[in-house]
Amino acid sequence: MTDHQWLELAAPYALGALDHEERIRFEAHLADCATCRAEVQACREVGGLLAYAAPAATPPGALRERVLRAARQVRPIGARRGPVLPWLAAAASIVLALLAGNAYRQERAAREQASRARAAVQDSLGERDSLIATLLSPDATTAALAATGQAPSARLFWSPTRHRVVMAVYRLPPAPAGRTYQLWAIAKGKPVSLGIFNTQPDGRLTAVMDVPPDLAFQVTAVTEEPAGGSPQPTQQPFLIGKVVGD
Amino acid sequence: MGAPATADYVLIERMARGDERALGELYDRHGGLVYSLALAIVGERADADEVVADALAQAWRTAQDFDPGRGSVGAWLTTITRTRALDLLRARGRRARALTRAALEDGEGLAAPIAAAGDAPDREVERQDTRRLVARSLAELSEPQRRIIELAYFGGLTQTEIAAELQEPLGTVKTRMRAGLEKLRSSLLPRLSRGES
Repeated sequence: MTDHQWLELAAPYALGALDHEERIRFEAHLADCATCRAEVQACREVGGLLAYAAPAATPPGALRERVLRAARQVRPIGARRGPVLPWLAAAASIVLALLAGNAYRQERAAREQASRARAAVQDSLGERDSLIATLLSPDATTAALAATGQAPSARLFWSPTRHRVVMAVYRLPPAPAGRTYQLWAIAKGKPVSLGIFNTQPDGRLTAVMDVPPDLAFQVTAVTEEPAGGSPQPTQQPFLIGKVVGD
Repeated sequence: MGAPATADYVLIERMARGDERALGELYDRHGGLVYSLALAIVGERADADEVVADALAQAWRTAQDFDPGRGSVGAWLTTITRTRALDLLRARGRRARALTRAALEDGEGLAAPIAAAGDAPDREVERQDTRRLVARSLAELSEPQRRIIELAYFGGLTQTEIAAELQEPLGTVKTRMRAGLEKLRSSLLPRLSRGES
């Protein structure tokens, strides 16, 4: 397919109107193509406004109570039972399905997958005590970076007092020759490099990186850069996540 | 942007911490929009109730997953609601209301009644602008373009399914969908660039 032909799939993809196989192929392409990802994002915003085209209807008065009653039966994911690792109890976590784009009807599947990934990461971390021992701090915060389907995902653990992050990456093929991945902390809207990394042939990596002292950041992102890394990102990030700590 | 939209995000943060009142407030603000959307898809009020209750329960459960960088709270809620509504139809083996309408009606799309909708529920003063703009933008599309986009969004159909439904060549459907969305994009640009949250 030419670049142009790929780009033409962005609108139907954003509307959830691609057939299954076409969608799978396009999602694979999205992982590599920042242009198409941006196009999908733009189309999704247009699509989102279509909800306003629904004829205005007034919900029945009793619905409000029904909504609240339903909510009382479940607790928010972040407020649920104690996690596997005690120190994670202090660290609210968030999983984002992001820039790789995602058809509407996949939304729920993506969330469920993210929940499973979260549990899997917690389990695998239990076996990596030696690596994360340095990070077993009460103040540790964590961010999960995720995309959908078989797209790559990553999870970040950050201890501000130890000025370190541990990053666990899954399903990310090694960067091509002459390229590398780079992790960024977005502080006050400005990307600050936390370091470069590459994955194993199996698409995994666990890495420890130093964080500049006093750097406070809310968002982390991963881009692909020329070997050696870049002072500032040269591409749109393909993974992005928000740090949440309580 | 502006104060109310900022507060939207704060509501989600409070929900993530288990604050039930925040959920009530979220409902007060967006209940009208998501209910209208659900009803437009499922066509029956009892089903729309169920969809909205499910959708807001999901929002409550997954409030932590909300990322303000990705879009507005309203867009997040409508995405959840649309997915839920289409799921409910599929589970019951029913056709979306948009499909029935498309089969029955000529010319009049879903957008048609909007201009007349005056009895706005909550926060409609603010929403009316967006509603009008969206309705106007849809009205500017050619009738086939509008129908195709409505079948995709409100009917949950793929391009292939739309082609079968309308008995049009697939290539034509693809071209019209793309052109229609492109046109919507340019007419909605003022609304998009302003953002909502």
